[in-house]
Amino acid sequence: MTATLHVRQAAGWALVLAATTAVLLPFRSELDKAHVSLVFLLVVLGAGAAGGRILGLLAAAASFLLFDWFFLPPYGTLTVTNPLDWVVLIAFLVTSVVAAQLLHREQESARRARELTREVDRLATLGAEALSAPRAEDALAAVVAVLRATTATDVCGAYLIDTAGSRLVAASPSDAPDSAVPPLVDWVGREGAPAAELDDGTSRLGSPGVASRTLTQPAGPLVRALLIPLGVRGQTVGVLRVAGRGIATLDDARWRFLDALAFYAALGAERVRLAADVAHVEALRDADRLKDALIASVSHDLRTPLTTIKALAHDLGALGDERSQVIEEQADRLNRFVGDLLDLSRLSAGALHPRIEMNAVDDLLSATVQETEGRFAGRALQVELPEDGELLVGRFDLAQSVRVLVNLIENAYKYSPPDTPVTVSVRREHGRLLVSVADCGPGVPVGEEQRIFTPFYRLPNTAPDVGSAGLGLAIAKRMAEAQGGNITYARRAAGGSTFTLALPAAEIRDADRAAATFTKS
Amino acid sequence: MPGPRNTVLVVDDEPQIRRVVRNALDGEGARVLEAATAREGIDLAAAERPDLIVLDIGLPDGNGADVCRELRGWTKAPILVLSARHADTEKVALLDAGADDYVTKPFSTVEFTARVRALLRRANEGPGEATAIITHGDLAIDLPRRAVHVGGAAVHLTPLEWELLKVLATHPGKVMTHQHLFTEVWRGRQHGDAQQYLRVHVAHLRRKVEKDPVRPKHIVTIPAVGYRFGE
Repeated sequence: MTATLHVRQAAGWALVLAATTAVLLPFRSELDKAHVSLVFLLVVLGAGAAGGRILGLLAAAASFLLFDWFFLPPYGTLTVTNPLDWVVLIAFLVTSVVAAQLLHREQESARRARELTREVDRLATLGAEALSAPRAEDALAAVVAVLRATTATDVCGAYLIDTAGSRLVAASPSDAPDSAVPPLVDWVGREGAPAAELDDGTSRLGSPGVASRTLTQPAGPLVRALLIPLGVRGQTVGVLRVAGRGIATLDDARWRFLDALAFYAALGAERVRLAADVAHVEALRDADRLKDALIASVSHDLRTPLTTIKALAHDLGALGDERSQVIEEQADRLNRFVGDLLDLSRLSAGALHPRIEMNAVDDLLSATVQETEGRFAGRALQVELPEDGELLVGRFDLAQSVRVLVNLIENAYKYSPPDTPVTVSVRREHGRLLVSVADCGPGVPVGEEQRIFTPFYRLPNTAPDVGSAGLGLAIAKRMAEAQGGNITYARRAAGGSTFTLALPAAEIRDADRAAATFTKS
Repeated sequence: MPGPRNTVLVVDDEPQIRRVVRNALDGEGARVLEAATAREGIDLAAAERPDLIVLDIGLPDGNGADVCRELRGWTKAPILVLSARHADTEKVALLDAGADDYVTKPFSTVEFTARVRALLRRANEGPGEATAIITHGDLAIDLPRRAVHVGGAAVHLTPLEWELLKVLATHPGKVMTHQHLFTEVWRGRQHGDAQQYLRVHVAHLRRKVEKDPVRPKHIVTIPAVGYRFGE
């Protein structure tokens, strides 16, 4: 919309004015001056509304003259005899001019609002496209296309930071001059700061956080192209290149629009990266699932032959073959080993969910003793409960905690002389249950205290017949941590090792109350 | 094995496992029937009325718990579940659905036959309602008088501990799941969140009736499953 006057429209409104005058003229002796001025005012407003400010002002001037000439005595002259008529005339003129101006301003803001609405519509459409495009590159291409169409810039291109590394790649090759990334684009991608290519072949560099438009303001050679870093969450994911003469003459609204589009381009670029990341993670997860499924399947398929082997070994034993016991033991060991691998794999994947329940330490210790005394017959195990006889309770997974303790005890037996005892003691300290397994072995070499918890670790100089895969401590530690506990290692002053399992303790006051309210039926 | 020849039905889709079970039970003098699917097993159980059913936990054509429930609808024959490591949840579901005990694959013949013998002996003894006084080692439980003696000395139990001990002791050798114990002991009483304290009550009870609560002779903990009285 411009302020130019359309001749046909002006002629039309001149006719309306003439007709109004002609209609009012026969009755001018009976009409009050106020009525006449109001009718003219209506015409002025009509002209202003339809034809804009200039037509409105022209109509106001013409009405002023017509009013004076035809309706203010003496008629037929521009002279005004009654001084009060001057007041009427001036009031009329001022009112019509002000009205025309107000009308104009209102129309102007309505026009801006319409433009803004269109802009918002475009952005909304673009946003929806950017977020729903099947490929992120398509979203970026859409942003570039809109940018070119709406900001009157000549060439636009987008570059992405490669997902694999920090290398920039052209995302819309048709717009890139060649496949190589210009050094300046590379600089913008690295620094996260805008830059401008100037007409004389030099460039102007911004600093991070500076609005790219400030680069167009200093005097000097004209800006040929602007390089805008695309930032999402403080990270530069790409570079947008906007070129053309139009850059220097962009108005506020278009700069806002450009900034918004740059943000969409950044979202598009981020999407490219995220999509690639997700694909990568998905691939890793698939591999992990495959590994898990493989171990689970081996573990399952092993059970049937192992059962058969143990049954056959039993039959051999019944015939007096002493090797049968070894066969059974080795079958159990193989079964445990595959089970351990499966557990470790599930622990690593966070797929072995503990069932945290209120448990008594007595249950933990008795189940552990039952398991170890069955498996390591002939080895001594001392169990020390708190001397005051207090019943300790905690919140943990009983089966997994038994597993942890059995592994710790097995480890203690393995690395201490056969004729020395292993001692399990338990106490409560700072809201934690501490279950310690102490042995009289040589202890863990200095510097190895953390590494002993890594899978497949073996102590240096370990006799090969100690016979384990080195999974026990790794599983124990992860199982303890999955329950909100942990395992710590300490050297004993008298020689030997102490492994301590810490678990969250609980109160039993509530349990006592529950017992008290239980009445015999 | 004394008494009449027992009939044992083994339901497992693995022929090797069925053979192992058959060989182990042949030595016990039992008649062994085999079924490869849940459907076949239920039909055979209905037709032959076996004294014991050995049921694999992972049959291809049916949920083990459903099979247990269906069998329990019309037979009291003990059910021994062939379980697997990493199958605690399924194991508990089967026990809750009426199974009596389980062995974990790969099991040894000694372990398996011991379980079978215990289950058959209890089944042949019939319900223990006639027994007024249950003795187990140094523990004597006088049901009519609600009195408990350990090594001749009277022990005082709270009403809840008494109920727990009674339910456990009247199911000797049977694996009692937490849920099963809870249902039997609390039977519709207001209990709030008492179920989570079941283990604490058992621990209190055990400290009263066991000489060494860490090496219990009467009430044995079965992690992730529940408790068993004796054996």
